[in-house]
This record gives sequence, structure tokens and C-alpha cells, in this order.
Amino acid sequence: MPERAELGVMNAIIFSALIGVVMMLGGIVIKSNAGIKLLAIILLFILLGSHLAEYYDLFNIHIQTHGMLAKSRFGMFFNTIIISLTLLYVLLSGDEIVKVGTYGAEYFALIFFSLCGATILSSYNNLLMLFLGVEIMTIPLFVLTSSEKKNLKSNEAGLKYFLMGSFSTGILLMGIALYYGGTGLFAIEASKAANEAQQAFRILLPLGLLFIFISLSFKVSAAPFHFWTPDVYDGAPSVFTSFMATIVKTAGFIAFIKLFELRSVDMGYSWKILLPLIIILTLLAGNITAVFQQSVKRMLAYSSIAHAGFMLFALYNPNDFGKQGIMLYTVAYSLATIGTFAVLTKMKDYTYEGYNGLAKTKPVLAATNTIFILSLAGIPLTAGFFAKYYMLASALKESTSNLWLVIVAVLFAAVSVYYYFRVIQAMYFKDGNAETTEIKPFFKTLLIIIAALIIVIGLMPSLLLDLFYA
Amino acid sequence: MSNILSVLLQATNTADNYFPIGIQLIFAAGFVATMIAVSALLGPKRKTKEKLENFTSGIESHGDARQPVAIKYFLVAILFVLFDVEVIFFYPYAVNFRELGWEGFMAVLMFVAFFLIGFIYIIKKGALNWED
Amino acid sequence: MIELLFHITAFKSLPLGEVGGALTHIIILSTALFFIGMYGLFTRRNMITMLMSIELMLNSVNINFVAFNKYLYPDKMDGIFFSIFIIAIAAAEAAVAIAIIINLYRTHKSIDVDDVTDLKQ
Repeated sequence: MPERAELGVMNAIIFSALIGVVMMLGGIVIKSNAGIKLLAIILLFILLGSHLAEYYDLFNIHIQTHGMLAKSRFGMFFNTIIISLTLLYVLLSGDEIVKVGTYGAEYFALIFFSLCGATILSSYNNLLMLFLGVEIMTIPLFVLTSSEKKNLKSNEAGLKYFLMGSFSTGILLMGIALYYGGTGLFAIEASKAANEAQQAFRILLPLGLLFIFISLSFKVSAAPFHFWTPDVYDGAPSVFTSFMATIVKTAGFIAFIKLFELRSVDMGYSWKILLPLIIILTLLAGNITAVFQQSVKRMLAYSSIAHAGFMLFALYNPNDFGKQGIMLYTVAYSLATIGTFAVLTKMKDYTYEGYNGLAKTKPVLAATNTIFILSLAGIPLTAGFFAKYYMLASALKESTSNLWLVIVAVLFAAVSVYYYFRVIQAMYFKDGNAETTEIKPFFKTLLIIIAALIIVIGLMPSLLLDLFYA
Repeated sequence: MSNILSVLLQATNTADNYFPIGIQLIFAAGFVATMIAVSALLGPKRKTKEKLENFTSGIESHGDARQPVAIKYFLVAILFVLFDVEVIFFYPYAVNFRELGWEGFMAVLMFVAFFLIGFIYIIKKGALNWED
Repeated sequence: MIELLFHITAFKSLPLGEVGGALTHIIILSTALFFIGMYGLFTRRNMITMLMSIELMLNSVNINFVAFNKYLYPDKMDGIFFSIFIIAIAAAEAAVAIAIIINLYRTHKSIDVDDVTDLKQ
């Protein structure tokens, strides 16, 4: 895996910012919703094309970044995944996005800006870029969350998200300041202190890393810093919840892994206590609370917390299994979540009762939704199974003394089956008349394609992982 | 020479040198406090309605100063904050203007171009229209 | 955690010299400001005050950056530039926050967070 740090910036960063600007200005010229959606899709194809051109060394823009951004195969592959997922997401839910309010083009522009932040997070090599990436990714989301201007819930969610987001930014900055005080650098690679005073202040480094860890836990909603997640995910318009729960969340994990694969050593023994503690708390908070939810949307919010617990396993062994696992998890979890949320946005009633009898009225929706839910639950033959398997294996590969943690995780996965299956039960075994909004054949086709992808990856995960090493 | 300078620098950094400033501060505060106290004790007191009103240069005051402002004003204020603060990035550029050369100039030009796009967007969206 | 505590308690006995002494005072100041901001965020119910608390937190970090740069690593200006970025981002954040607060005020006629509890379950 050659690290090509000297090559500087990735196309994806530049192009995603530019297409955001184009989209923003396009909104002034184009007035029809269909036109805006078409423009967004075309721009996303351009972005994907420019990124793939760089991936296969055809064309890229050279900018000297002085080692602030480093290109790695890992980051490039992750970018391919999130750009493709965004494209899929826009194709699937584009109609819903423009329907949220009167500013269709701006919603897409904000999504592209947020994507730009995510691409920075996949390639940062300097804590300044980590900070900028996190902010560029989350500030548009504050706006998107509160974009249903007349709806009090959406506004409240936006405010809550803002308060918690900027609070965690404050902690992140304090962490970076202490890191800087301890090392004199913003680069994430190790460094040496020179004079006596610098040596004395090096003890700030573990404290700084602890602060950064807490802040990133906020961003990926790991317990005990998860309390904002259910309210924000519930209050935000469903289409944007889907984006937040998938692309943004996984980008947060990439940021996590990039920093702590190099720096967890500096936290010393406390890292060995902190990580399992956070993992268990996250699994507990996510899975147990999800059981008691009445609304499917809120249940999915809690389940996303539970999945954060599984994704944290990648930090155990970030070099080998962890990196492959997080890729697989990103794909499996995001595909399934985008799918379920796409179905959810079509429902008139978000409670479990709202799904009653969906199998009779809309068999295709029910069947594909079942596959998404099975994948989220981690049932074999779906992508979710191998994703979870790789995560747990990475912990075991690090040390067999982690076996107890793996057993706990498996138990919680079993708990999760209960609340996921309630949806399937409602769709197939309960009488009712599930009401949906109008569904286009194109939407159904896309759902089937996503479901097929999940099953193909579930049968042969090596297909995806081979691409990683290709 | 440098030796003398360092001695001088050290001399200015000791706490003793701040002593006169401290005395001055105490005198200033004491003087103000005494004058206020003395004028309050000795001065004549005639409390008529006109005397108790706020002094507004002879113009009669009417209404409350804390009136609600049109929400349009906040939009302009927010936009001002954004455009105002981003100027901060010109400062490091201005300091290193010569060293950065054409490459730096192009970078700053790009930065300004992004701003201009934002500005055009604001105007086109009608955010700066006061009348509607 | 334990070893962090150990580090902090061992802090006093280290040979910090004059630089460390002055810097320690500044760190105490910025830490105090940071936690005053955090306290304000958790106790105040007025949204504007909460926003101010967040700004206080961000600005206390600025003090830290500038102080570390001046006293420990004066050969490069990294820390000062970082604080410039923080100021810019904080402005963007404040703009978004004020927009949300104004929108809440228009629909709800209140800027007290205790009045905004639709999502509590």
C-alpha cells in the first residue's frame, strides 16, 4: 500500500466543494424541482468520475499541501464508497429532498459541502484538517436538520444538534490545543520534544488525546455521549436523517481510525480500559433502549448507536482486519440504512403499526425492507453478517483476552434481532392497511438493486475487499 | 550591546517597576470615589419631574429604546459577521505578501472569488433587499 | 485515567523553569474560561447565553494556542494560525446558530430552551 503523501490534494475534495457552489448557483437559474434533482445527479456523476479518474491515475490536480493531507489507498477507497453511496441516496430520495422545503437546490448544495468535509476526514494528516473537516461536515447538517422551517420538532432538533455539535467542537479544540502543547505539532505522526520545558509539557499529550477521543465519540454518537442522537435523528426530516446516519457517521469513524491507529499508544494503559468501556456502554445504550421504542424512526436512531458500538471494534486492530472491516461495515450498514430510510420516508405513519400489512399492499417494498433489516441485524447471507464478523475478528486478532468482549457483543446482537424483527412481523404477520405515498417503478428497481447488492456482498465479501487491494 | 539590552529587558519585567502604576491606579480610583461621595453629600437636591428624566440634549424623549427590529436586520447582521471575520485571513497574507509571490496571490484570488460567489448568491437571493 | 491523574499530580515537581511558570498561569486562565463556558452551557436556559458560552469555550482554546506557540514553540507560527481558523469557523457556527434561534423565535415566540421540548419522550 504506497502512501503518496507528496501528491497533495485529492480531486474529490476540490470537486465536491466546486459542485456544491455550482449547485448553489444552479438554484438561482433552475426553478423546477425535477431540474434541480437532475442537476444534482449530473454533478454527482461528475464528482464520481473525477474521483475515479484519480483512483486510476488518469487525472488529478496537484496542490502543495505541505503534508496536511495525505493520500492513502484506504482514504481513496473510502471516498469511492461514500460518493457512490451519496449518488445512490440522491437517486433514491432525490424527490423527497426537494419536497422538504422551498430551497431544493440549497439542500443538495449543503449535502455536497458536507460530503466535502467527509472527504477531508478520509485524507487528513494534520489536526487542523481534522478540525476543518469535522466542521465542514457538520455545519451544513445543522442547517439540514432544521430545514423544515415550520415544524417545531425539526427546529428543536437543529438547535440541539448545534448545541451538542459545537460543544464537542470546543472539546475537540481543547484536545488539539493540548496535543499541540505536548508535541509542538499538528501532524498526526509521532514527534520528539527538544528542550526541557517542552519535555515537561509533553504530559499534555495523553490528556489532549483523551479530549479528542471524547469529542469524536460525540460525533459518532458513542455512549455516554450519544444522548443527542435519538432526538436529532427523530426531529430531522427523514431524508436527512438517512444521510446523517450513514455517510456522516462513517466518515466520523474514518477520522477516528486515522488518528488512533497512530496515537492510541500515547494514551498508554488508559486506552485499554477506555475502549472496551465505551464499546460496552454504546452497545448497551443503543440496543436496550431501542427495544422500548414505538416509532420505527426512533428505533433506527437507537440502532445506529448500537452499530456505532460495533464499528468501534475497528479501533482494536486498525491496521489489518479493522480497516477491511470498517470498509465492509460502511458499505453494509450504509446500504441497509439508506434502504430502510427510503422505505420509511414513503410511509405515512412512522410507528410499528404504520407498517402493519405492508406485505399485502406493497410486496416489493416489504420484501426489500426485510432484506435491509436482516442485514442490519447481522443475519448470515447478508452483508451485515460479514461486517459484524470482521469487526469481532479484529478484536480477537489483537488478543484472545478480548473474547469476553466479543461474547458480550454477540449477546447484544441477539437482543437487536428482537426489535428488528418487530418490523418484519408488522409487515408480514399483522393485519392492517399500511399507507404509503406514491411509489415510482424506478424507486422499486433501485430498492431491488440495493437488496441484491447486500446479498451479493453477504455471499462473497471478497468481491468488495478485492477492490480494496486492486 | 546585546548584554545591556537583556539586562534592560529583565529590569522591565520585574514587579517593582509596576509600583508607580499601582499607586496611580489607587489614586485615580480614590479620587473618583471621593468626588462622587462629596458631591452626593454636599450638593443640593431638587427632585422635580424634569430633573429626573433622561438627558437627551434637550429633545423630548419618546418611547422605549428597546424596540423590536425588523428580522431583515438580523440577516444583514449575520452576513456582516461572516464577511467581516473572513477578512482575518488577509492578515497573514499581507504580512508574507512578498515571500508568497504569484502562487500566494493566486490562492488569495481564489479565496476572494469564493467570497464573490457567495456575495452574488446573496444578492440574487434578495437577502439585501430592504423593501418588499 | 489513573496515570493521567498521576501525571497531573506530578506536574508540580517538574523543573519547568521560568517559561513553564508563566505558561502554567495562562493554562490555568484558559482552563478556567473553558469550564466557565461549559458550566454556562449546562446551566443557562437562554439560547443566546448558551451561544455565548460556546464562544467562550472556543476562545479559551485560542488563548491556549497562542500561549503554547509563544512560550514553547516560538520558531513556527502554527498555533496562531490555528486560532485564526477557529475564529473564522466560530463565526460561521454563530451565524447558523442565530439563524436557527431566530427561526425558533418566529414560530415559537421564545428563546428559552425549556420551552422547546417537543422531542422529549
